Amino acid sequence: MASEAGEGSTAGMDDYETLISTTDVELLKKAWRNEKAAPEILRFETSLIQRIRGQIQLMEENIEEFAGSGIDPLTVSLYQMDLDRTQYLFRSYLRIRLQKIEKYMFHISKNPEVQSRLSEQEKGFARRCADDMERHLEESVLSKLPDNYQDIVKQSIISEESDMIPEPQLDSFVVCKSRRFLGPFQLDGRQSTISCILLVCAARNVSSVC
Amino acid sequence: MYGRKACQLVKELASGEKGQLTPYNSDLFDQVIAECSQHHLELQSLIRKMQEEGLDVQTTRNADHYGALIHHLSLVRNKRCLMAYMYNRAEIIRSLIWKVGPVLPQQIQEKLSHTEEEYFKKHSGALQSYMSRLDLDLTVDMVPPKDPYIQVRVLDDIGVVLSDDKTTNFARHSMHFLKRTDAEQFISRGLMEELTS
Repeated sequence: MASEAGEGSTAGMDDYETLISTTDVELLKKAWRNEKAAPEILRFETSLIQRIRGQIQLMEENIEEFAGSGIDPLTVSLYQMDLDRTQYLFRSYLRIRLQKIEKYMFHISKNPEVQSRLSEQEKGFARRCADDMERHLEESVLSKLPDNYQDIVKQSIISEESDMIPEPQLDSFVVCKSRRFLGPFQLDGRQSTISCILLVCAARNVSSVC
Repeated sequence: MYGRKACQLVKELASGEKGQLTPYNSDLFDQVIAECSQHHLELQSLIRKMQEEGLDVQTTRNADHYGALIHHLSLVRNKRCLMAYMYNRAEIIRSLIWKVGPVLPQQIQEKLSHTEEEYFKKHSGALQSYMSRLDLDLTVDMVPPKDPYIQVRVLDDIGVVLSDDKTTNFARHSMHFLKRTDAEQFISRGLMEELTS
């Protein structure tokens, strides 16, 4: 991770920027930032996560070697810090996704498109979450209510659709930044030209552009 | 007034500090459930009355219909308040698992109902199973790291702890220079504090 950055610095600023922006750590940072800002859960970056895991392991082994072989302790602690930061990003990315799953468990279980964005282990977790919550609500509230009102997603038997599922607020505003000049395009029914400015718009519109 | 007790339940939930549980109010909860049964009985008797008078239940709009409608709406409102109460408490319980870990301290456990304790254990289990499938502990590293090692002071007697290749005696008021990930589990349980100066 740190060594890749070192290679770029000899090739001039532009090349350095491009090189830096394609390292796995940068990709992880971008995925983490997107996940943090978006109100709904985004697609799981399977291959990126796999590569990062491998790199973290490699880095840990390297640091152990360095620590034992008498390399300057300052250098070792710098590598250690780099590793810590990557590990934080990695764990935080997975954590944010888990917390979104916990929040919108029923929405996810009833919506196959959203379910397809989860990793295999996350799917298992989401299923268990929804089951546990269903059992909990049934035991504590629903079984004690009169017959026609015992459904967990409908208010009562005469409701036309499942009206009790919390859903992510796709109308909440997010700030996004375009990576390159995009030219004019439709956003919210108005023509906009986007260069490299920060833009505030509803999250719903962002997913269609990305 | 219909719905007042349910409203009280929800207000109790809202009046607690953010992220903290209030003790489970089983009395008020049972009273709201009883109110629901009462509404249901009244609703059924009104519908039955309309049927006995030979009126079409779906389309007739007389006083009985509106009476039944009010009972139905109050029931739905009560159900919504009860579900909100349980659901939001469950949300707080889940956040406690992240903050405190799989074992709850006594003062929090007293505030839970029996079903909530079950839910806590089950959800903890689900989380543990996910983490073990990934072979990764997600409950450490909760804040972005500034330094790899931090200075800590021990607040409560932890005793002798085995870490990596050495054993350290964490006696009360002693200060140590630890790896961040090692110290985090103690800090989150309030057994150590970080010295930031």
